[in-house]
Amino acid sequence: MDPIFRLIENGGFSTWIRASTWAFPVLVVLHTLGMGLIAGPSAIIDIRILGLGKGAPLRAFTRFFPLMWGAFAVNVVSGLLLLVAYPTKALTNPIFYLKLTLIGFAVAALVAIRRNILEAPGVGEAPLKMTEKGLAVASLALWAAAIFAGRLLAYTHSRLLVDVRVHF
Amino acid sequence: MSIFEGQPDLMAPWELWVRATALSGFVREHGDLWPVLETLHYFGLSLLLGAVGLFDLRVLGVAKAIPAGMLHALVPFGVLGFAINVVTGIAFFSAFPDQYAYNSAFHAKAVFLGLAGLNVALFYTTAFASVRRLEPGQDAAFWPKLLTGISLSSWIAVLVCGRLLTFFRPPFFH
Repeated sequence: MDPIFRLIENGGFSTWIRASTWAFPVLVVLHTLGMGLIAGPSAIIDIRILGLGKGAPLRAFTRFFPLMWGAFAVNVVSGLLLLVAYPTKALTNPIFYLKLTLIGFAVAALVAIRRNILEAPGVGEAPLKMTEKGLAVASLALWAAAIFAGRLLAYTHSRLLVDVRVHF
Repeated sequence: MSIFEGQPDLMAPWELWVRATALSGFVREHGDLWPVLETLHYFGLSLLLGAVGLFDLRVLGVAKAIPAGMLHALVPFGVLGFAINVVTGIAFFSAFPDQYAYNSAFHAKAVFLGLAGLNVALFYTTAFASVRRLEPGQDAAFWPKLLTGISLSSWIAVLVCGRLLTFFRPPFFH
């Protein structure tokens, strides 16, 4: 993989993101804001499904999904640009793959929560089943683990660039 | 680590005082704790932005089918997130006070935190009573919308300044 990493890192765009004073800070700010605006509302919906903060009709929470998908799109784009800037750093770290897997499951759980709980016919009329509450618990755990894995990326990479090793 | 590490005569008296606390020593001696505290800080900001953000958006006109008072029942989880961030934030500051005290991103973050706090006080004294009575589908008045707009923007500004902290570290901090 090293030749591919070297090709990307030597490219003008990758070099520019690393050299520019503002490109990298803007990308990590957007990535953190996007995280807050998808994981945050998702966690709040999970908490509501678990029966805390009762009252608000579940179905209406679907109105917040455009915001959450917008935040997710921001993070896909900013994440890809961060990957272009530091491909070796991410792709040689097993925790990066763990993070992507956790996000994949968290997003799948969010889609399942919308389809099977928020948009279910008669939602709010009967108490939620244990399987539905289990989905909310899984969603909370997946976002938490994804955030932890993401934060660990700053401390667990063995290489910063293709020819730059790091030791923690 | 600052270049003043081991040179206490170069630190301001208040920095020495902060660094002499048990919390400061504990955080500095347990390096593995830092990413855990950062992760908790991210949990906290997500809860705050999730709970307060959704409430603010309802008042601003999104998801009007939800009565604002009912959505407000989830705000305590945002307060919990804020509390987590106060505790973890104090732990960060205690360990390396110079990283924050001489950092312009931290100064800006403090200003936006102050603005968010004043706005909370103003919202609950002048707008919450009317917001609480909003029926499903009912639009809020201009004043509550203005205050929730300020709320959402100032919390986002707090997040932005917080994430920019590492890029504005004082030159002697490494």
